[in-house]
Amino acid sequence: MSETNEMSGAAPLRLTLYVAGQTPKSVAAIRNLERICGEHLGPGRYLIDVIDLRQSPHLAREHNIVAIPTLVRQLPVPIQKIIGDLSDTQKVLVSLQIDASR
Amino acid sequence: MSVGGDEVAELRRRLAEAEETLRAIREGEVDAFVVDGAGKAQIFHLDSGDSFRAFMEAMDLGAAALDAERRPVYANAALEALLGCSADELQRDGLFPALGPAAPKVQALLDSAASGKLSAPIGLVVGGRARHVVATAAPLQLAFAEGFALTFTDITDRVEAAAAEESERIGRAVMASANEAVLVCDETGRITHASPAVSRIQGVSPVGRAFEEAFPLVFAPGAATMGAEDLVAIAASGSSVRGIEASMAVDGHTLELLINAAPLHGSGGKVHGCIFTLVDLTERKALEKRQALLMGELNHRMKNMLALVMAISSRTLATAKDLPDFRVRFTQRISALSVTQNLLAEKSWTGLTVEELIRNELAPYVAPQGPRVTLTGLAEQVTRDTAVSLGLVLHELITNAVKYGALSNEAGRVAVTGQRQPDGSFAITWQEEGGPLVAPPRHQGFGQSVIARGLGQASGSARVEFRPEGVLCRMTLADTSLA
Repeated sequence: MSETNEMSGAAPLRLTLYVAGQTPKSVAAIRNLERICGEHLGPGRYLIDVIDLRQSPHLAREHNIVAIPTLVRQLPVPIQKIIGDLSDTQKVLVSLQIDASR
Repeated sequence: MSVGGDEVAELRRRLAEAEETLRAIREGEVDAFVVDGAGKAQIFHLDSGDSFRAFMEAMDLGAAALDAERRPVYANAALEALLGCSADELQRDGLFPALGPAAPKVQALLDSAASGKLSAPIGLVVGGRARHVVATAAPLQLAFAEGFALTFTDITDRVEAAAAEESERIGRAVMASANEAVLVCDETGRITHASPAVSRIQGVSPVGRAFEEAFPLVFAPGAATMGAEDLVAIAASGSSVRGIEASMAVDGHTLELLINAAPLHGSGGKVHGCIFTLVDLTERKALEKRQALLMGELNHRMKNMLALVMAISSRTLATAKDLPDFRVRFTQRISALSVTQNLLAEKSWTGLTVEELIRNELAPYVAPQGPRVTLTGLAEQVTRDTAVSLGLVLHELITNAVKYGALSNEAGRVAVTGQRQPDGSFAITWQEEGGPLVAPPRHQGFGQSVIARGLGQASGSARVEFRPEGVLCRMTLADTSLA
């Protein structure tokens, strides 16, 4: 699953969310991430890949995923990981270096 | 050994990531882990498993997960309750000992379920009580291997309800078709059901009334039970009584009843009430009384008949010329007796008229409708004993007429006339004419003796005159001889 919102100018945030099927925390993380990006980034400024490790467990190795759900900010570098269901919006914004005031 | 700045940064990043992972676990923000096992990444769930278990525990149906070796991995509380054993016992001994005799059937179900879901009915005995259960087996992907999902749906209540409904239907059909009156009472003796045959005893439905009130029975003296309420008490206590005779007054008639009472057992053997069957014996009792009377009467008649045969025998012997003469006369007289008996039997031993008697006695010798015999006023009915005596007398008159009198030639005639007398008696006159000249017999034979005495037994009299122009016999039957 991926959502793309391309825009001219600055490169978009590239985010990868690792989940395990429809577990409650996985579902919560997907919803929280969509809400935060929608509210704070605006259209075209982010790209989200959701990887279901239950279907493709080998993909966990790429980012050394241990706990699920885990969000990985691939771009801009350096890579950042946020572990959990993304329920703490402020912490997500800080980790993703998104200016909440915008 | 010195560590470079980049390495320190990497170590710090990994430490921060580890701390973040621990925090997330501590705060319950993760519900699955990736574990590298044998070079292959596998996912283990935390919360989802608990949710599933919570869901399973909330279910009414018994459920278990078995591993490939069919050992229980998990069994819910409903299954523990159904099998009557604890989770520890299931873990220690396995599922199959708890299934008892049904174990082979469940094993066979699991054998066949590897390729898809299958169900089969099984019987379990739990706490001494038989349970009807549907077992369903399906392949189950466990976290670590293939296994089985096994569920047990207890349909005992449904089966018992269906059986109860069927029993109720059969019970109603039996009651509807029973010839006997069948009553069902509750434990207080109040009538709850009554078969259609009850309406033949009681015009109105007794349902809702107390048994002893609806059926005020009177028992024969010496009967063990004293009242209808005692029958209810006996049956309600679990005992049966059979063949109690009682009577009951209904609309001015007395009904004779044969009563059986038995307890009504519900599930678990508990007595819920009682069942009564009432057989109307009134007609049978009347029939028995009539039969007893008939037997007595038959005995009496047999004795009379044998005495009569002995008298005919000895008197015929006394007047017979020789043995062949005896044989002829005796046989004729017994035949005459037989004719009367046959007539009486045809008429069911009642209502034989004098005319019928004469016609039957005459039949072997002359046509009763012919010009030589005139019968007038003889439609009077006589009693059975009179019919026998009169039959013998008439036989003697007829045989005498055929041998020596008016019926011994071609021109003679016989006129028989009957008339009621003012005193109620019935006079019969036998008058012969046109026969050969009559001479009085030289000695009194059996015939005259029968004529003279025969009717005396039947409250009557007979007098015979041997007039030259023809025999004249006057017989009188008392009114008590008439039916």
